[in-house]
Amino acid sequence: MPKFLVLYKWTLDEQDIKVKSDDLSLDASRAKGKISDFDRNAIEEAAAIVEKQGGSVEALSYGTPTVKQSLKDVLSRGVDKAYWIGDASAETADAAVTAKVLAAAIRKIGPYDFILTGEGSSDQFNQQTAPRLAALLGLPCLSFVHKLEVDGAKASVARKLADCTELATVTGPAVISVLSDINKPRIPGLKQVLGAAKKPSEEIALGSLGLAAEDLQPKASRRSVKGFVMTRKNVIYKDAPADAVAKLVSSLAGEGLI
Amino acid sequence: MTNMTGIFIFSEDRALAKQLLTPALELKQALGQPVTALALDGEAAAELAGHGADKVLVLQSASGWVEGLGDAVAGLVGEASVILIGGTQRGKHLAAHVAARLDAGLTTDAKSLKIEAGKLVASRILYAGLAVCEEEQSFPAVATVPARTFPAPAAAAAAGTVESVPTAADGRIAVTGVTPVDKSGVDISSANKLVSVGRGFRSKDDLHLAVELAGKLKGEVSCTRGIAEDEHWLPIERYIGISGQIVKPDLYLAVGLSGQVQHMVGARESKIIVAINSDERAPIFEAADYGIVGDLYAVLPLLTAAINA
Ligand SMILES: Cc1cc2nc3c(=O)[nH]c(=O)nc-3n(C[C@H](O)[C@H](O)[C@H](O)COP(=O)(O)OP(=O)(O)OC[C@H]3O[C@@H](n4cnc5c(N)ncnc54)[C@H](O)[C@@H]3O)c2cc1C
Repeated sequence: MPKFLVLYKWTLDEQDIKVKSDDLSLDASRAKGKISDFDRNAIEEAAAIVEKQGGSVEALSYGTPTVKQSLKDVLSRGVDKAYWIGDASAETADAAVTAKVLAAAIRKIGPYDFILTGEGSSDQFNQQTAPRLAALLGLPCLSFVHKLEVDGAKASVARKLADCTELATVTGPAVISVLSDINKPRIPGLKQVLGAAKKPSEEIALGSLGLAAEDLQPKASRRSVKGFVMTRKNVIYKDAPADAVAKLVSSLAGEGLI
Repeated sequence: MTNMTGIFIFSEDRALAKQLLTPALELKQALGQPVTALALDGEAAAELAGHGADKVLVLQSASGWVEGLGDAVAGLVGEASVILIGGTQRGKHLAAHVAARLDAGLTTDAKSLKIEAGKLVASRILYAGLAVCEEEQSFPAVATVPARTFPAPAAAAAAGTVESVPTAADGRIAVTGVTPVDKSGVDISSANKLVSVGRGFRSKDDLHLAVELAGKLKGEVSCTRGIAEDEHWLPIERYIGISGQIVKPDLYLAVGLSGQVQHMVGARESKIIVAINSDERAPIFEAADYGIVGDLYAVLPLLTAAINA
């Protein structure tokens, strides 16, 4: 029976991040945390397979100390046990650091048959975690998966790429990244949320993973972040449809578009 | 072989591989190092050698599954300073593997690349397009570059050399079938005018309103993700956004779509953006040059009729 580990990121909900108009800096003071969208698909996929075929699902996240806030949510989504690594280094971590931390943690708590994660996180969308982790752990990796079937130690997948659908198989242990259309993540009900409180979670101290200080230094460091602003004409017609259309047509003609 | 320095490029997409030569040749100017291209066959290699690559290595791989070439590529690039990989999904997978092997950084979807104080500085988007950031990396530095970010360079005066290298692939993955996407003959990214539809449309049957307007404008119909991925009203290669197509038409006419950042990042480089939406607080109006606050079912037929073919 397959033993799954799902990796997830606790991110800020980008819908609540505002760009300050004076200096284009980002104001995230009102942004709440969320389990990164595509990681919810990864959790759902593992949970649904285990509910159908048996097995187990554990989850692991590396983040700043706020990652602890994610435990209730992740445990209400069909996960049996959650591990978390909360450390300030995650603030500046790039995909290289994240993969090293996750790999070290998996060496400690593993092995697993299948390690699942989302295609990319909703904040940085680096799309690197699955292949980097696989390279570090010496495991095969299937990315961009939109259909997954597990039969014993074997996984059969359909990958959706820009120009084709590709069918592939792999024998676990393997790392798999999933696309958002693989399933519709459940919305946990009251029962699941209450049940989550009884499920185990365990903190893994970063210091216990045997990483060097150097491993926590990002290889790609962010030197500036600026809100994107679009300067558009913003000429909006609110007249009755016929008048508004006449005005729009003359605007489009003025732009040489019709 | 393992002590080669310099700038490396690779993409399995031949058009994109050629485009990568443009930033690679700029980096060559800045660093004074040669450009080596990796190619999958002799024809692609000759093309790259003819457009500025000093040297092309033809990877002779057992399976041709690009994602499985990570260890081989990491071995070949040796003492590279910068490695640019075409930002297809296969390319991104490969790049992440190579970066992990080299213990290097990797900028995903780099929009611009330059050298400053011995580091690679690349710009990219964050939060699905809400922000733009600059990342810097010491060497070796890796970046993926999306298609059409750079134009292809002109043919070079002198052709580079071509050499074959035996390459081991990842035998642990068995590819059992490949079905090409049915492109239905339309390349949305090359359309000059797009009428883009969102969930404001109540049924697939109603899309004819957009099709007729697009016909009058001599444009094409595109859409938001939900229309393609959830409703399946239009093929997936017609949806615009961070996880779909990036387009830059002269006219982007957004009808019944709210204008969330994940969608707009694919359309915001359009020359003129027009919005038709019944909710005057919809974010699309902030992103629009012109707009009509109104019911698309009333506005579209009038607009189609008012445009002279
Ligand atoms: C990680 C991630 C990636 C994503 N990637 C993409 C992507 O690549 N592309 C993408 O498109 N989305 C993407 N999304 C989804 C995106 O956030 C939005 O949810 C989506 O774009 C909204 O689609 P919509 O505008 O069609 O629908 P809605 O947001 O529901 O908007 C419908 C609009 O229609 C208007 N309307 C309703 N009735 C009428 C009428 N009769 N006349 C006129 N107007 C009417 C409403 O006022 C509303 O503004 C992504 C989301 C996430 C989390």
